[in-house]
Amino acid sequence: MRKVTCLVVALCAVALCLSANAWSFGRKTVIKVGINAPMTGDIPKVGEGSKYAAQMWLADVEKAGGIEVGGKKYPVEIVIEDNESKAESAVKANTKMITQDDVLIIVGPQSSKQAVPAGDVANNYKTAMISPWSTNPATTADRPYVFRGCFLDPFQGPVLANFITGEFGFTKAAVLYDVASDYPKGLAEFFKAAWEENHGAGSVVAYESFTTKDTDFSSQLTKIIRSDAQVLFTPQYYNEVALIVQQAKDLGWKGPIVGSDSWGSAETVELCGEACYGQFFSTHYAAAGAKGATKEFIDRYTKKYGYTPDDVAALTWDALRLAQTAIENSGKLTGKIKKDRAAVRNALAKVEDFQGITGNMTFTEEGDPKKCAVIVKISDKGEYEFYKQICPK
Amino acid sequence: MEMIKNFLRQFTVVPLVGWLIGSFVAVLLEYYLGDAISYYLYLPKIPVLFGALTMLKEPLLIPSVLAYDLIIYIVPVLLLGRLLAAFSNRVATWFEALPLWLATVVHLAAFYGILHLWAGINDYRVLVVKLTMVAIILTVSLNIINGYQGEFSCSHPGFMALGAYASSSLTLMLFADDKMFGAALLPPALGPWLFPLILIFGGAVAAIGSLVVAIPSFRTRGDYLAIISLAFMFIVKSAIENMEFLGGPRGMSSQPNYATLPIIFIWTMLCIWIIHNFISSTMGKALNAVRDNEAAANSMTVNTRKTKMTAFMFGAFWAGVAGGLFAHVLRYVNPGTFGIQKLAEILAMVYFGGLNSIYGSIVGAVSISVLGEALRPLELFKWIIIPLILILVMIFRPYGLISFTEINVKGLMRPKNRSRSGGAE
Repeated sequence: MRKVTCLVVALCAVALCLSANAWSFGRKTVIKVGINAPMTGDIPKVGEGSKYAAQMWLADVEKAGGIEVGGKKYPVEIVIEDNESKAESAVKANTKMITQDDVLIIVGPQSSKQAVPAGDVANNYKTAMISPWSTNPATTADRPYVFRGCFLDPFQGPVLANFITGEFGFTKAAVLYDVASDYPKGLAEFFKAAWEENHGAGSVVAYESFTTKDTDFSSQLTKIIRSDAQVLFTPQYYNEVALIVQQAKDLGWKGPIVGSDSWGSAETVELCGEACYGQFFSTHYAAAGAKGATKEFIDRYTKKYGYTPDDVAALTWDALRLAQTAIENSGKLTGKIKKDRAAVRNALAKVEDFQGITGNMTFTEEGDPKKCAVIVKISDKGEYEFYKQICPK
Repeated sequence: MEMIKNFLRQFTVVPLVGWLIGSFVAVLLEYYLGDAISYYLYLPKIPVLFGALTMLKEPLLIPSVLAYDLIIYIVPVLLLGRLLAAFSNRVATWFEALPLWLATVVHLAAFYGILHLWAGINDYRVLVVKLTMVAIILTVSLNIINGYQGEFSCSHPGFMALGAYASSSLTLMLFADDKMFGAALLPPALGPWLFPLILIFGGAVAAIGSLVVAIPSFRTRGDYLAIISLAFMFIVKSAIENMEFLGGPRGMSSQPNYATLPIIFIWTMLCIWIIHNFISSTMGKALNAVRDNEAAANSMTVNTRKTKMTAFMFGAFWAGVAGGLFAHVLRYVNPGTFGIQKLAEILAMVYFGGLNSIYGSIVGAVSISVLGEALRPLELFKWIIIPLILILVMIFRPYGLISFTEINVKGLMRPKNRSRSGGAE
């Protein structure tokens, strides 16, 4: 009796197996876009902005009935994975989305410490990845499948140095930065190099550092004030900006304080208050006084989620629109994921003069966009006002 | 309740070999039929991690996932385990006649084969298994210090960082062309063969680093070690952040891909075996004596200082090895990884699994890693659920799930038909 049962089971298995070959390719082709974002961990606000932008994008695509490739419309899904703001989780999330969810393209991770290792995974599996916010050159270097949506620090540093020189005519600058965090440190170095090129060695009269999570900057700031620097450059994140600017004012700093794109969060002004009014920083886009598609995006986002989108949301939006453009230009989808991914990657590399809400983009060989930076002035009402646009030559 | 008990009693006669055979068949089934079965069950793909992720993401698919798990894993394993019990008991008896080491190696090889097949279905599984095994090494090694030695050390991430950076810089310098150290000094083909030596070097660096903590703090007992070791962790992190030649806060990337699944598996087993031998040696017993009463141990001619130092360095060594493996799995390290978050993770694994037990450490490492992975779709709620489970464990089992129990390899592998009236089933 048992033998018969075994035989029947075996036969059934064989039949199932044979029929499976005919069936398993019959699954519907769905365009899946992966989002690798820090939903929990140190910077959940960044993850939230990415998620909201992605949901808005998905709503748009669904309204249009999917993405049209080669004359056929395909349904679209987004896969959002939490990377916990950790390097190993970002790697896991990317591996999962590529090997399990069969995503066509990945948007994210946002910070460099996750984007660098995750980019390695994407490149190994030959899946295109666009990091909207990562500024570390290593993210895209020697990785044909990895792109980014923002300008790099080697561009931003000189932009700020030249802007300060041109705008105020200063010759002596001070820098205060976090030595333990990769982004501020890199940018501080690029700024220093550019400034000293303009004004000669020693023109950065104070180059002070602190460590992540420090809250008292009085000793560094006292040094800076004594050094008779005319301007203070501090490429820090919003929570530290508030502390630094307020403490500097309290200690009697009179000159302007200039920041970088990390100031761009809506929280900066909220935490910093009036101390920050009138200061300048460089960023990807300016929310106040925006026009056209940018304004439309800001209005929709504000209406839906109740606050002005910061640069991460805008950059994620652009990255997703870029991904969409690449998918549309990829010719046709074969349903064979490896081939489609390669086609999407090639289409992405060829995208020219993409009209994004954070500026127009064309990718270089390395996968970095040539893009303009915006100088923003914090107005007397605490709004980020467009001041000037500076484009790469 | 009675029914479940009766049902479970059915399976007490199945020896380890039987379970291995059952799992092997289940994995084969998944390998060949997984795609077809998942298709018929309307699943988008073969579910990874037993469908936990799919269930949490799309609750509508829960019945399909449960059916899949039943068809692929539960039914074949239970059925085959039970049906082949007579056969597998005979095999187990035969294994019993073999030398213990040989039987263990055969079992481990079989287990690895199953793991390899199972993980091979999806690269995400490979990554999860790899990181879980690294977590096992970390947990077992921390258990030497926090469990067997009865101290509270917080410097494990620091040792890990030392090992990771030491071995990464060696592999990058010797076997890879990169921007940081220039061209490869040795032919890259040698790399995988010298990788064990590099890992040992990483471990040695960590062990030497541990002296910085051990020498000043072992003159006293109690909280001092916790404070000094916590400081040590931050010192290592800040030091690496300020070392430009190691990449500073940007970290080091593109290590060669040497940490493959079999390599990590072998290292994990080596670690478990060596640590097991260590703690069941005279030194290990002395260590327990020192933990329970240092003065009494001293009067019984135990050299307490030497014992404590050795155990601490030994634990640090394995943390260094784990760090080296970790760096080569991710192929990227940055100092920020080895901070307080990592520490909390390792400590949770140790205290969840159980103090003074290698077995417990393995359980702790596997369950926290897998839980962390399986609950990922819950995002923020994951960080409520896992701590809650930890609190519950601390309330109901203050020393961890499985504490103060040792691995009994012989007992694990023995045939299961003899305990009942001596006869065959």
